[in-house]
Amino acid sequence: MELICIGLSHRTAPLNVRERLALPESRQVDVLQRLAQAPVEALWVSTCNRVEVYLFAPDAAMARQRALTELQVLGGVEALEHLYEHQGEAALVHLFRVACSLDSMVLGEAQILGQVKEAFERGQGAGAVRGELMRACAAAFSCAKRVRTETAIGRAATSMAAAAVQLASKVFDGLAGKTVLVVGAGEMGELAARHLKQAGASKLYVTNRTLSRAEALAAEVGGQARPFEDLLGLVAAADVVVCSTASQVPLFTRDNVGALGRGRRGRPLFMVDLAVPRDIDPAVGTLDWVHAYDVDDIQKFVADNAAARAEEAQKAGVLVAQEVARFVKERALREGTPVLARLRQRAEAIARSEVERTLGALGDGLNDKQRKSIEAMGRAIVNKLLHEPTARLRAVGPEGEGNRLAGAAAELFGLLEEEVGTAAAAPSGMATPVQVATGGK
Amino acid sequence: MSHTLVSLACHAYGIAAVVYLAYLVRQSEALATAGRVLVGGGLALHGVALFELLGVQSGRPVGLAQGFSALAFLLLAIFLFLDVRYRRPVIGAFLTPLALAALLPGLLLQGGQAPLPPGVRQPLLPLHITLALVGLAAFAVAAGVGVMYVLMERQVKAKRFGLLFSRLPSLEFLDTLNRRLVVWGFMALSITLATGAFFVGTAPGPWTVDGKTLATLVAWAVFAALLVARSVAGWRGRRVAFLTMAGFCLVMVSFLSSYDVSSPSAATLGMP
Repeated sequence: MELICIGLSHRTAPLNVRERLALPESRQVDVLQRLAQAPVEALWVSTCNRVEVYLFAPDAAMARQRALTELQVLGGVEALEHLYEHQGEAALVHLFRVACSLDSMVLGEAQILGQVKEAFERGQGAGAVRGELMRACAAAFSCAKRVRTETAIGRAATSMAAAAVQLASKVFDGLAGKTVLVVGAGEMGELAARHLKQAGASKLYVTNRTLSRAEALAAEVGGQARPFEDLLGLVAAADVVVCSTASQVPLFTRDNVGALGRGRRGRPLFMVDLAVPRDIDPAVGTLDWVHAYDVDDIQKFVADNAAARAEEAQKAGVLVAQEVARFVKERALREGTPVLARLRQRAEAIARSEVERTLGALGDGLNDKQRKSIEAMGRAIVNKLLHEPTARLRAVGPEGEGNRLAGAAAELFGLLEEEVGTAAAAPSGMATPVQVATGGK
Repeated sequence: MSHTLVSLACHAYGIAAVVYLAYLVRQSEALATAGRVLVGGGLALHGVALFELLGVQSGRPVGLAQGFSALAFLLLAIFLFLDVRYRRPVIGAFLTPLALAALLPGLLLQGGQAPLPPGVRQPLLPLHITLALVGLAAFAVAAGVGVMYVLMERQVKAKRFGLLFSRLPSLEFLDTLNRRLVVWGFMALSITLATGAFFVGTAPGPWTVDGKTLATLVAWAVFAALLVARSVAGWRGRRVAFLTMAGFCLVMVSFLSSYDVSSPSAATLGMP
């Protein structure tokens, strides 16, 4: 069984390619169910900056091919040109880095962890995340927690929403006296609303297709909820608009925003689009009085600030390496123990059968004491024979050489064939410790 | 004496310009303070020199050299006021070089002064000239701020998050500052025109519209239209920045045509 990761992100793919792979939740579940056919496990991580599929499969090549086909169907041939792939321990490191926000557009931003957790829960709900992938995710989440508490990366980082506020400060001289509109009351909308309010926005309107969510968010951040039907009217009154809806088509076009120009009498409008697919048509930015930014623009902006966070990211990278090593060790231990246990079981079974055969051949001429001595000798031979390999396997540890030795033992004593036979008999097929133990990652 | 003081002031402004340009690259409070001290010190020396000079000239600068010198002084005084008031030292990176450029002809044309024609010996003349120069300096600063606006707007629109983007003040701040400066300049220009018209009315002989008067009137009309367009039609931003620059050029033409620039040694002060 091996972990592989295939995906694309803000680093490798332009927004228009990422948009094609930004699937609504229901479709993500469909894809997961197609990919995660037992014994394969699958996790689909989709944020505005990345789409990644993690697969835990006995046949990595086949799982990879299946994922590539799926990605090509969804994103077209062009999507394949922007993909990256990680396998084995590299995939594990990548998962940890993503969860710790070390691969994010804004280093150390807090949302990514929530988004990976959501993806994890969705995967669990769809039955696609079950055993090893579940443990890997749990370890990644605990690593993210450690990174957040032990480094200053969270404090030094600016979220996408904070970056949006900083950009607004280049158009407006502070947000005091300004009217701000948040379109979309999801997690990103909530963060944006909090940052904007914190930055001193005087009036904060929240609108959402489901009014109750807008009302809940407005109550939380001290804004006012407005029905989604008033969207353009609200934009007409706003100075800053931040959108992050799940709409598959742009909410704002050059025509509908341009029509508001006359009423605004040249008053500038700053629009930030945190959604993928985009809520604001790129042509809106060509209006003289509109300054429109999308997620890629924000990436460009925060890239300049990345240096300040690089040091903390380095510390976080060390923590990630430690946590990955720990996970690998635990996993190997978890999966290496059965090799020894099975070896002992096998040896004891052989010894038992040979003792019984010998006792049978000697007939009734043995007294109890002699019988017990022969049985003890069988056990002693097993113990003496297995003492050295057991001690050595434990001494070298589960990584590297340890994995190799465990694999060799499994193969020498025929435990692999036995395991394959067991796996074929059990439909879940997830408990394949021998192969994992031999193959490492 | 005054020449030495102006020369010293010029050195202080020169170093201040370098300091403010350094501030543009590396924002540090120490550089901002150094720039402020240098401009303040330069203004003190320059002020003493001008005071001394104007004292013996009935309160008016004579000749193009002194005109430029007084313009540079007022421009930097306005800048220092803005810097202390709004704490945006980065404006210095644009205005100190501009003031230096205005001072250079002053140093090169030193000495070219001519006696004032008898028809313009008016008690209101120092006020007229001072306000004309204040207006010109305010428009010069407004034009400099307009250049900053245009540069910043380009960065914002093109999403180029480089040095200028990170250092320049917000578009709203620059636009608001431009509006305030144009209002001050316009008020000064209006009073200059009014006092000029008074001189013309009291002067003997027929009144003729010369190039200078025409440029001043057109500049006044441009700034008046600009202010009306701002308040009535909501004009702002790039369009206003370009209009400010155009208006400043017209006022500059008016300023230059006050002097006989073809013969610096015989520069004469004209009248509106």
